[in-house]
Amino acid sequence: MPTSSILTPTQRYAAGALFGLALHEAQAHQTSPLGQGSNEARSSSSSDSVSDDPLLWVNASSSLLRPIFKFLEINEAAWTGLEETAAATPAKHHVGAYMRLLAEESEEASATMEDMELGLSKGVDAMAASMETTHDDYESSKEKQRDYANEYREKYLKPETKSQPEVDIVTKQIEQVISKDLPESDDEHTKSSKGVEEKPLEEVRMLEYPRKVTVLYELLSACLANAPEDDKKSTKQRKGYDARHRVALRLLSTWFDVKWIKVEAIETMVASSAMALLKEEEAKENDPSSKGKWDKWKRGGIIGAAALTGGTLMAITGGLAAPAIAAGFGALAPTLGTIIPVIGASGFAAVATAAGSVAGSVAVAASFGAAGAGLTGSKMARRIGDVKEFEFKPVGENHNQGRLAVEILISGFVFEEEDFKRPWEGQNDNMERYALQWESDNLIAVSTAIQDWLTSRLAMELMKRGAMMTVLSSIMTALAWPAALLALTDFIDSKWSIAVDRSDKSGIILAEVLLKGLQGQRPVTLVGFSLGARVIFKCLEVLAESEHGAGLVERVILLGAPISIKDMNWEAARKVVAGRFVNAYSTNDWMLGVAFRASLLTHGLAGIQPVDVPGIQNVDVASIIEGHSSYLWTTQQILEQLELETSYPVFNHLTKS
Amino acid sequence: MESSTSSEFDHLFKLLLIGDSGVGKSSLLLSFTCDNFEDLSPTIGVDFKVKFVTLGGKKLKLAIWDTAGQERFRTLTSSYYRGAQGIIMVYDVTRRDTFTNLSDIWAKEIDLYSTNQDCIKMLVGNKVDKDSDRVVSKKEGIDFAREYGCLFIECSAKTRVNVEQCFEELVLKILDTPSLLADAGAKKNIFKQKAPEADESASGCC
Repeated sequence: MPTSSILTPTQRYAAGALFGLALHEAQAHQTSPLGQGSNEARSSSSSDSVSDDPLLWVNASSSLLRPIFKFLEINEAAWTGLEETAAATPAKHHVGAYMRLLAEESEEASATMEDMELGLSKGVDAMAASMETTHDDYESSKEKQRDYANEYREKYLKPETKSQPEVDIVTKQIEQVISKDLPESDDEHTKSSKGVEEKPLEEVRMLEYPRKVTVLYELLSACLANAPEDDKKSTKQRKGYDARHRVALRLLSTWFDVKWIKVEAIETMVASSAMALLKEEEAKENDPSSKGKWDKWKRGGIIGAAALTGGTLMAITGGLAAPAIAAGFGALAPTLGTIIPVIGASGFAAVATAAGSVAGSVAVAASFGAAGAGLTGSKMARRIGDVKEFEFKPVGENHNQGRLAVEILISGFVFEEEDFKRPWEGQNDNMERYALQWESDNLIAVSTAIQDWLTSRLAMELMKRGAMMTVLSSIMTALAWPAALLALTDFIDSKWSIAVDRSDKSGIILAEVLLKGLQGQRPVTLVGFSLGARVIFKCLEVLAESEHGAGLVERVILLGAPISIKDMNWEAARKVVAGRFVNAYSTNDWMLGVAFRASLLTHGLAGIQPVDVPGIQNVDVASIIEGHSSYLWTTQQILEQLELETSYPVFNHLTKS
Repeated sequence: MESSTSSEFDHLFKLLLIGDSGVGKSSLLLSFTCDNFEDLSPTIGVDFKVKFVTLGGKKLKLAIWDTAGQERFRTLTSSYYRGAQGIIMVYDVTRRDTFTNLSDIWAKEIDLYSTNQDCIKMLVGNKVDKDSDRVVSKKEGIDFAREYGCLFIECSAKTRVNVEQCFEELVLKILDTPSLLADAGAKKNIFKQKAPEADESASGCC
């Protein structure tokens, strides 16, 4: 058997332990993003047993940690100890120790291993660099975005902001009331606890960069491999790249002080290497001389159905057609060519061998294999009620590139079909992005109706008198609406309620798409504004009720969301999101208030005020948003400022840049 | 069942086993928790076992952490001292170096890392079944224990002589120490929304 891993057994033990700690910490971040107040609460539970609590991610029944240990060939006897360690105490008490172990333990490491580590890290650097350079066109796309923003501003914003002077005053008053209403100041927390969490550990510096990269590489391979589990206890069997794993890796890379793009580079490399390996296997299969070996593997029963049906090759990128993969792989070849001899196909094969013959590597492929048609093919996955249009459109240039993260972007306030894609086009990240085009007829109708109403004479008059702001005041006082305003909104109402109904139904479809794994069993980031945010929320609600809903969604960003706060189960929705959950609101988005009406406003509305639920990051974007339609062209700026690639919330008040 | 576990026991104690590699820490734990003895390979990192006992009229849950004695895991061990109510120092009566290392290394570690001022320490001489190979006398053990202010017992994980007594004595002593009982009762879990959030200090946003 070839060298199964670049790391020594002890290093693998430490890597597994660190991953466990990160996984548990990531779960803690769901309800307490910066770990505040955790010290006392958690140290007192320090000796309780993980095995008692199936809700924990590190509990065996969640099947998140044990497959990793198995892949890393950690002695089974040590598993419970690792699980207990991961959950028992604040991670910071252990992280340092394990990192030291990772750094010190090297007497067994041979020179070749060090060479391999170095080679791997160089490869990752090269890959990361190539991913960065593909953003050359970033500036030009930004330019385009700016033009788009200006054009739209001209067109749609004017009526909304005409009454600016009065609005300002009232807004301030409302802001005051809101801040009185919500005693806590997110700002202070952000500042005070950030210092603690991000203090670099002394041990991080002991750890050499190549070692860190190698550890991340092996852990990622382990996350993807999810070798067929013989663990009967586990109930949540799903193959693929679990969102919770990705969140844990993200946190771990923060602890390691390794840039996230390097991990993304590793993701791409692992995906491509696995692809290369599969091609190799396929070639062997065709070659009669080595057929015996292949047969043996098949007899071994370790290869999933996907492999037997020949679906393996197309499997890896989540259901994209094989030629497309070849093309994507070809694009990466210049970089990969230098790596593969060192760690690429053979290296991955070796790692896979470690996981119990080829099961590992094949499982990597199989895990993405169930995807079938993939997202773009899921045009109208199922007809629900009256939803007539539900279609994913690729956005950006990261498709067929072996990216292991998917982003779904949902517009909810549109004037023309282009508006489903355009707000997202200037964005710059390394995910495979899709815009969801849904119910364009209804959405355009309601958006236009609102816009028309805004430009009507009476509305203008009302705005001048600052009547609009009474809409927002009623959040606090539940005052009666001005009669004129009520009458006026009647004709928006019917269109709006249809659109709300459709957004709920589309949310159900979206949840079904994700549950079916059409995104290629990859972690999904959901971003949506206006009614699009409502689609996402509905989707989360469905996922929360489903048995396998956890581990699909990595992050959620809701912008100007027409979702009431009190009647909805935000806690449940929060639980199915592995990573960050952002609610961007604007206190002066009175248009959302008009559309959503007073009855619901008394229960609070996520789009215009913070949601007071642990673990939801509320971001006030009032200074960027001039009106509800602004989300069309400012979303990109907001997303950039949110710094989604960090594990922790960064800013809670955005300013115009 | 999670929420009811807190009522199933009165106290929860964290105990820690330390000592050189090969002195029989894991064997001692196995002998205590599973009435079993077998040849074990060296512990990797840390191991963890739970045992419920009833002592002094109290239902107790013992969470026993068994650490690796090997030098390369030593930095790891230090992080486990935190919050332990009882620490068991084990040596092998047939190997003098494991005894001398107690004062040279392990006792110092305890002073350095233990967070409980009053935590109960216990010295255990293991492998008394190999009486013919014995090189550390009982007298020496008693003297060390007296000097260091800890309990002392000699036992054999193999024949199970004094194994129960070892843990019993330690636990009874912990029960006699009010400061150690203070925070050993309540179970809190950060993922159970209701109960722990009620802390008056929690402001609600986090």
